[in-house]
Amino acid sequence: MDFPDNLFPTFFLPGPPGLSDSPASYLAPAWSDYMQLLKPPQTQDPSINPQHEASYVTKWGRWKSDTPGPLPFLLPGADPWDPELMSQDLLFRGRVKQPARAKATIDVIEQLNHFLWDHGDIAFGPLGMLLQENFNLGEKKKSRKNKMVMNTEWLLRDLNGYQPKGCPWAHLSTRQRRFSLLGGTVLGEEVENLLGGLLHEELETRWKRLLLDEASTGGALGWVPGAKPHHGQLVYPTGRAHDQLNFQKVKLSPTNEPQALGDPSHILLRGPVRQVVTRTIQGEGETHKAACFPLLGFPDVASGAPCPHPSHESIACFRLTLILSSALVAVRSDHHCALWKLEHRGPPEPLQVLEMEKEATGISLSPHLPGELAVCTRSGAVCLWSPQHGLQQIHKDPETFVFKDPSSWRWADFTAHPRVLTVADRTGLRFADARAPSDCGELLFRVGAEASCQRGERVLLAQYLGTPDPLPLSPTLHLVCTQFSLYLLDERLPLVPLLKWNHGLLSPPLLAQLLPPPYPEAPLPLLLGGLGGHLRMLHLSGSGRTPQLAAPPQSLPSLIDSLPGFPVLEPHGQQLLQERLRAPLTGLAAVVPPGCPSPTMLLFQLSAAGDVFYQRLWLQPDTSSESAGSPSTDHAEDLGLNSHSQTSATSSLGTVSEPSAVSWKPRAVACCRRWLKTLLQVPPTLPSWTPPTFSQHHLRWLKEENKGKVQEGLRAAMAEGRLLLQGDLAPLPPSDPPPAHEPFGTEDKLSERLEASWERKGAIWWDGQRDGSRLPRKRQSREKRRTQLSSSFSSVRSTSDFSDVNSPLPHPPKTPSPLHRMSETSQSLELSQELWVKNIPRERRQTLRDYLAVLPSPDSGNCSIPQFQNPSSQSLSTSEPGKCSVPCSQNPRTQTLFSPLPESYSAFYSQNPNSQSLYSQNPNSQSLYSPEPAFNSVFHSQNSSIQKLPSRHTPSLAGSQPLRKKPRMGF
Amino acid sequence: MDAFSEELMGFVQKDNQVEASKDPVPEIHLPWLSQHIQSTGSHGQKGTNFAQTTSICLNFIQEALLKHQWQRASEFLQCYLQTLEDINSQKRQMAPEIIWKLGSTILYNHPKSNVETFSAFADRMKNIGVQNYLKISLQHALYLLHNGMVEDAYRNLNQAESWRYGEMSASQEKLIKLIQAYRGLLDYYTWSKKRTEVSSFDMDGFATNAATQDMHSYFRQASVNLHEIIKIPGVWDTFVKSYVEMLEFYGDQDGARQVLTDYAYDNNFPSNPNAHIYLYKFLKKEKAPEDKLISVLKILHQIVPSHKIMLEFHMLLKKSNKEEHHKLGLEVLLAILDFSGCTENITAWSYLAKYLKQIIKGKHREWVQEGWSSRKDWWPTFHFSYYLAKKNWKENRILALKKAFTSGILLGKGCKYFMYVSKQGHKIREKSIKTMKKFVMKHNILDSEEH
Repeated sequence: MDFPDNLFPTFFLPGPPGLSDSPASYLAPAWSDYMQLLKPPQTQDPSINPQHEASYVTKWGRWKSDTPGPLPFLLPGADPWDPELMSQDLLFRGRVKQPARAKATIDVIEQLNHFLWDHGDIAFGPLGMLLQENFNLGEKKKSRKNKMVMNTEWLLRDLNGYQPKGCPWAHLSTRQRRFSLLGGTVLGEEVENLLGGLLHEELETRWKRLLLDEASTGGALGWVPGAKPHHGQLVYPTGRAHDQLNFQKVKLSPTNEPQALGDPSHILLRGPVRQVVTRTIQGEGETHKAACFPLLGFPDVASGAPCPHPSHESIACFRLTLILSSALVAVRSDHHCALWKLEHRGPPEPLQVLEMEKEATGISLSPHLPGELAVCTRSGAVCLWSPQHGLQQIHKDPETFVFKDPSSWRWADFTAHPRVLTVADRTGLRFADARAPSDCGELLFRVGAEASCQRGERVLLAQYLGTPDPLPLSPTLHLVCTQFSLYLLDERLPLVPLLKWNHGLLSPPLLAQLLPPPYPEAPLPLLLGGLGGHLRMLHLSGSGRTPQLAAPPQSLPSLIDSLPGFPVLEPHGQQLLQERLRAPLTGLAAVVPPGCPSPTMLLFQLSAAGDVFYQRLWLQPDTSSESAGSPSTDHAEDLGLNSHSQTSATSSLGTVSEPSAVSWKPRAVACCRRWLKTLLQVPPTLPSWTPPTFSQHHLRWLKEENKGKVQEGLRAAMAEGRLLLQGDLAPLPPSDPPPAHEPFGTEDKLSERLEASWERKGAIWWDGQRDGSRLPRKRQSREKRRTQLSSSFSSVRSTSDFSDVNSPLPHPPKTPSPLHRMSETSQSLELSQELWVKNIPRERRQTLRDYLAVLPSPDSGNCSIPQFQNPSSQSLSTSEPGKCSVPCSQNPRTQTLFSPLPESYSAFYSQNPNSQSLYSQNPNSQSLYSPEPAFNSVFHSQNSSIQKLPSRHTPSLAGSQPLRKKPRMGF
Repeated sequence: MDAFSEELMGFVQKDNQVEASKDPVPEIHLPWLSQHIQSTGSHGQKGTNFAQTTSICLNFIQEALLKHQWQRASEFLQCYLQTLEDINSQKRQMAPEIIWKLGSTILYNHPKSNVETFSAFADRMKNIGVQNYLKISLQHALYLLHNGMVEDAYRNLNQAESWRYGEMSASQEKLIKLIQAYRGLLDYYTWSKKRTEVSSFDMDGFATNAATQDMHSYFRQASVNLHEIIKIPGVWDTFVKSYVEMLEFYGDQDGARQVLTDYAYDNNFPSNPNAHIYLYKFLKKEKAPEDKLISVLKILHQIVPSHKIMLEFHMLLKKSNKEEHHKLGLEVLLAILDFSGCTENITAWSYLAKYLKQIIKGKHREWVQEGWSSRKDWWPTFHFSYYLAKKNWKENRILALKKAFTSGILLGKGCKYFMYVSKQGHKIREKSIKTMKKFVMKHNILDSEEH
């Protein structure tokens, strides 16, 4: 192998990381992020002008995408996806005294509070058991003689009215006070000490995992090329627990989008799939199944000499044509690793499963010897595993290599020598020789001053960049990623990075893939993916020389960049979509389809939600023609010479032109729409926790006469399979109103209004405020407008001839839609412009004014009225306080809001600006009737106000939201 | 109560400090941590508006750079210049370096940028914040070199070298050394140009003399600087080569050898294969004894067994008189072929085939067995699979024959690779097949083990 005979000059200064005084920190190869490609002139031939020959001169252009963002490739799975814990869920949200030194503080008190509410049985159960014999929970007083038994009926009754938190007026009875003084120390300590400690520990691990989820290192999306050049399979996990391994056949096309062939075959595993590694067997089409591919478990045949008969040979040749492609798929789960063999035909064939006591952290398939794997676990052990020869431990060290780091993460990969492995931990990379396992190998990379690492820098990913196919790059290169930088190392020159680039990713870079060159002599694309979905692409070139970047690194669109390609939804749908698109990136697979006229690449991305997206990229050869702008001399003046004038610069900002912007094509939008439609049909996840709403206490202490009624109500509700409503049980026990504060003056409009809106009668209150007597008239006029509008609406319908689509509302909302109230409110607000100024405290006027300014005009606000199929229910909800405020229909959205519509319908819409514009002014009806107008608004009115509208409707739409937490009884 | 809690806080802080001083390695630092904290929202102020706008602006620039929108990036950079006046002194100090990095990148890639623009920017940036003067000067000089403007680069380096500003930090001292080294390198270029000129003069003692004088002064300048830099641990291939070339020219063989030996064997230096190659080539040119050459390459063999010079090493060992060298010669060949990048190295395979024959004839079969024992469990799959036989036969027949012979010796006549190639060779009546088969039948190490 050629070793570059002239390396870039570098200091080599060993030391701990973060030596700010190290000159290497800004010298080559870490020199300047982009300009490090400049090399010193070649010395050998003095006749040559000492100018560096060809570095960087060839601008390879950049990979460009057809669409502004990735497109969904497969329809979303049937399982709902719940975003994991977020920092908001864990962190202390109080005011920090010194914002500059704000540290992440896990809010244990809040969490403990939740825990005690959520799992009161666990938290207090054991104590209750202990105290049980001394407490009487309100049974008949049979144990009066026993002085040791205390009746807690009254205590509990007091407690029920007690607000645990935040209410200064909460009443403390003497009984409660006495109890808490006596029992507080005993009762409190137990829970605090035991649970608090455990909970804190749990929260800490959760928080650590939130910051750095190392489980998905390496990625869980694999690509297996198929027998024919344009076929292949994607291997990826789906399911809520990521425990279903899918094998999806895919057909690539040089010009069109890839096609999924049929449904994926899947295997259900018993643990979550963390990593998927695939490797085609180079000896594809081996003759003797067992002899050449010993993994099938025929050792007897393998060891025996093959039969030399010619007939056998001919069979072999025949097999050769049949079995064209076979590949290995290695899967890492938490405590299992498994290996499958994948042939062109037939289901995946399991070869062997490995069980580990400690969690496995990395698996890799040998590029040299088929069926050989490197596996490492948290115990610090690294094993070479082949199904034929079993396990061979080649390294074990629970300590980290360079300095002490608490992380037990380990990683193993191969090197150019099939018997030598690299073992990585957070502090560095070390060689481990399988031939001499006891030897402590040399360090290949060290987090330290040699590589001019920063303080607190750690290795997050290590990857061997060699493949069995000869690449233009030397097969001795290794990639090391830290949270700040990317390093390229040659195993023949340890500790000195050949290239360092600051990737600037704001999430851990856990995925990397080196691709073959799109055409001969081209640089090799190196993809780097962060867990947060950010992608970077580098272009590596340099055979026989040190590897260098052939073009400036570039970023690729992430899933969330596709958001504009989706139709605008109502808020909860939009949130669902955003959460889905923001799901962590857990897999990356890029394919260069063979035989393309122009260099093309397909990039598949897998998100933690189990979605597979793809993006087609093509190489745009020359960038120089692309950038437009002012003559360089001008901005040089600005840049260099007027460096202190800060104001002059802004003027030219308006002229920024983006020639490279790609727009959403109808086809891509249609693809997004199809995906979205399926996504919205997925039933939403039930929230993992809902506040305790149904207290047995109330049932127990009900008066005798009520009991029968309660049971009846319960039975009826259960028989009907509906929710139990307060009305089924009994009238609410009379409870004291919350302590009222002193009214501000004689006319306290604000508190009146608050009270009214508390009882969901805000609108009526407004009307009442304006003119109580005008209320009936108001209603009438509204009715009138309603009919007007519906007639105008029907006229649109008749002209546009899509009555078949819109007329049947599959499931008219049974429940009152708050939309109505919304429009009512807005309208009344509009009409009473003059009045409200008088009635509203001065400080609130501006807020209201702003609020009104963004509301639609009264006309459009009324368009939703024809929706109400059941006005009575509406009046019911507004008139009865204490009734269930949340509709009972579990899934109103998917049926009513997004009825599937034929393609022709949307095609029609997009060509019919009239009807569309009508809809676009009518956000309310749009959100209820069907999504199609909203979809279309994307084509026509990207900037229209609709896009901003839904967020404003959030509170009013809450009633129809299926995402709302479990319907509950209000007390 | 307050006093008590303060005291308590003091204790806690002290404890933390003690812990921090005990553990010199800081904990993992995650750049996205602040994002998480900010997303929780209610952490009071998020810094001043100024800090916010500059950080947003920086994000825009970085985004534009990654999208190759140079013009857009340059426009944002104009706004970003306001960080130079940040109230936060730490940020203000960092600003020039960040601006230089971003600006130089933009100007390097901007289609309408030119050398003048870049130079103007660099000159300006050098003097904002004294910390970066040397760094920017050096990068500027390299940029000029890259564009073929040697004289300007030289002038730049000269200027940088003479720059003084208060106490120099350790890193600045090293940087100065590097700048001097680059200047020395440019002196060396001039020197070598003069040398060709002088050698082309045929006569005229006086002119030659003057030119030689001139040349010698360049040598002196260059050698002082280059000598300095190669004392510091690092990778100095270019500098070492130039320096040694000049020393050789003036007949200082010992000095040159010393430089190369230090460069190769100093433990403070990284293990750089090139250092060993330079020493080997120098010794070879010097016609050093073979034992000396072998000892140099032996060390390289331990560091980089896959280096292409190992084939030369093998020939050296083969020629040697010592038996241990002969044995090592086999190991060297086998070690080359261990590496995935060398599997189709036809020279190595033909050397191996020839050498195996020689060893077996020389009755040293045990060497083969010894070398084979650590490879027998993976070489068959790695080198001698049926697939590879087909592939090699199709692509390179000579390679296939050499490999077949080797496989026959090592694995016996039943080896798939051997069988396939001999069969195919038989079909096309390749002459060498017969002799190969005969030899393999007789001498393969499998059969001999059984005997």
